Amino acid sequence: MKLQEIIDKVGLKKLTNVEVRNVQGVFISDMLSDVMTNAKSGNLWLTVQTHKNTVSAANLINLAAIVVTHGKEVPQETIDLANRFYVIILGSDLSTYELVSKLIGIGLKP
Amino acid sequence: MQKEKCAHTWQMVNVTPCFIITEKCYHCGKISTYFSTGHNPPMEEYREGEHYWNFMESAQSIHFDLKCTKCNMLVKFDELLGVKMCTGCDENCEANTLLKKLEPERTWVYIAFGCLPVNEKKQLSKEKISILEEYFNQRRKSSKSRIKVISHEIVSNIEDCYAEVIKDVDMLSLTLPEK
Repeated sequence: MKLQEIIDKVGLKKLTNVEVRNVQGVFISDMLSDVMTNAKSGNLWLTVQTHKNTVSAANLINLAAIVVTHGKEVPQETIDLANRFYVIILGSDLSTYELVSKLIGIGLKP
Repeated sequence: MQKEKCAHTWQMVNVTPCFIITEKCYHCGKISTYFSTGHNPPMEEYREGEHYWNFMESAQSIHFDLKCTKCNMLVKFDELLGVKMCTGCDENCEANTLLKKLEPERTWVYIAFGCLPVNEKKQLSKEKISILEEYFNQRRKSSKSRIKVISHEIVSNIEDCYAEVIKDVDMLSLTLPEK
């Protein structure tokens, strides 16, 4: 599924620049070590982490985008770093659970 | 007859949760880093040769090895403490020069770093760094961007490097409270 389609259907906020990308599955974790181990290239990463090093992990694994849930504010330095490295950060006021429910509803598979 | 060379396909194996421990010797001022696989990070002060190591901080991370799924070759990464993304924090650093050169083609520089002090602990070989780079690029699949892994020995001053380390901060890590 195209990232833009997901953004439109679920109502995600664009916190960084966004480019055309395909999303292949969802990964949920707040541990970077977990992302390093288990996330797959093309995954949408749902987290409440907003530290700059999330950009480092997402870029290394080539994740489709980071989605920060619970309406958590993302520091400007994280956004600036993400834009430089073409890492997409999206935001949602929904809880991770509510967002997952919506993502399943639009047909995005795990 | 010569055996055919395997075009390795790497897989992360032997993944062990651990703490990256940072200590400082108040005798010589050197910084020491290493893995600890215990349930809690060791925080006691101790003596090792001429060093008096004092706990500074810890962060959760993982230790792993790589195994080829085709030929079963196992490459151990005991010398690898972690990887960090070069952000070009030092104009005079060779890693920054490499990042500037590769950035237009979306090739990102990651620094593989070993345990400190560099001259007292075994460091990653060039061959292992090359295998690590191969693994991360294989994992990226159809990506139009690439990863370039370099040794921390290229970095001008690894102790002052502000590259973004992939480790878990502020959640399960323990740092001594300020006095």
